[in-house]
Amino acid sequence: MFNVLAQAADKAAEVTALIGPKAGAAIGAGIVAIGAGLGIGKLAASAMEGIARQPEAGGEIKGGMLVAAALIEGVSLFGVVVCLLAIVL
Amino acid sequence: MQSLIIAASSSEKIQNLVPWVSDHVSPNASTHVKPLGVGPEIHLSPYFGTQAIMMVLVTAIILFLYGVLFKKGIVPRGKLTNFLEVFVVYVRDEISIKNLGEEDGKKWTPFFICIFFFVLGCNLMGLIPGNATATGSYYVTASLAIVTFLCMTVGTIIKFGIGGFFKAFMPAGVPGWVLVLLTPLEMLGVLVKCSALMIRLFANMLAGHIVLYAMIGLMYAFGWIAAPAFVISVGVYALEVFVGFLQAYLFAFLSAMFIGEMFHHAHAHDHDHEHAH
Repeated sequence: MFNVLAQAADKAAEVTALIGPKAGAAIGAGIVAIGAGLGIGKLAASAMEGIARQPEAGGEIKGGMLVAAALIEGVSLFGVVVCLLAIVL
Repeated sequence: MQSLIIAASSSEKIQNLVPWVSDHVSPNASTHVKPLGVGPEIHLSPYFGTQAIMMVLVTAIILFLYGVLFKKGIVPRGKLTNFLEVFVVYVRDEISIKNLGEEDGKKWTPFFICIFFFVLGCNLMGLIPGNATATGSYYVTASLAIVTFLCMTVGTIIKFGIGGFFKAFMPAGVPGWVLVLLTPLEMLGVLVKCSALMIRLFANMLAGHIVLYAMIGLMYAFGWIAAPAFVISVGVYALEVFVGFLQAYLFAFLSAMFIGEMFHHAHAHDHDHEHAH
């Protein structure tokens, strides 16, 4: 019986070594997406509130929101690049 | 990777898909091109592939538009020059003068116009079916980021001297002992900011194209069931156009902001009581 268990463990280790980096990279990319969504969602919420409170400042708020959104997006894309490196390297 | 897909799925079309996608977005794709899909396959050198041809085309188009059609000092008259004037005035007012001040902003406007239109042109040329995206290669975006890095460092040294260059890393109104910790961090910050510029533009362009290829590949792999994938891919295509404009504006804006910060800190100690911040 232990023979079968050992063989199963070996097979599991072999398959994990095959897909381990890819599975880790895929899960990592999903977590990066969660982070980016949370961050930019919060940003958009406060930007909308600011425009609702003071519609004359709409243009300035829109400009600042775009820059901040792209910066947060840049951070999330660092994570994506790391996931890609996990696959390639 | 091939054996993995074969082990995971049994469909032959999905097996054909992964090499197709990776062939179109990887740097290998730039070495061979098949004009219009039919015709002989042209093999280019790895040092001057399809992406380099795109860059040369973009530069030629920009030079033609701004050198021939819209010469210096011409009053905009007609549709095309008025349309181009919108972009030029926007870059001058919102990107250049806002970050660098009045006289510096006017002097540095051509530089930011070059960066903005080069990145915009490369991004948009990559969206025409069959073309390569020049900014989807990290070498191109690294070159642009190196240009910004040189402007930040060498430009500050030329304008303000070596003393001004070191003053640029010391924000005003900070006690002495914090300065010892802060200056190496600020110096590292210059490198990190330029690397961020490079990775942001490269990853945005590359990821957008991979998503687009994957969506279209779904239609190939699954046939008529994947009809919603057509609608989604049209949506992603429109998003890619918007992201192209946004990333071009952002690259120019962040370059201007970083260069403006360096210049501003470099002469802050000379007359820091005159500005009211």
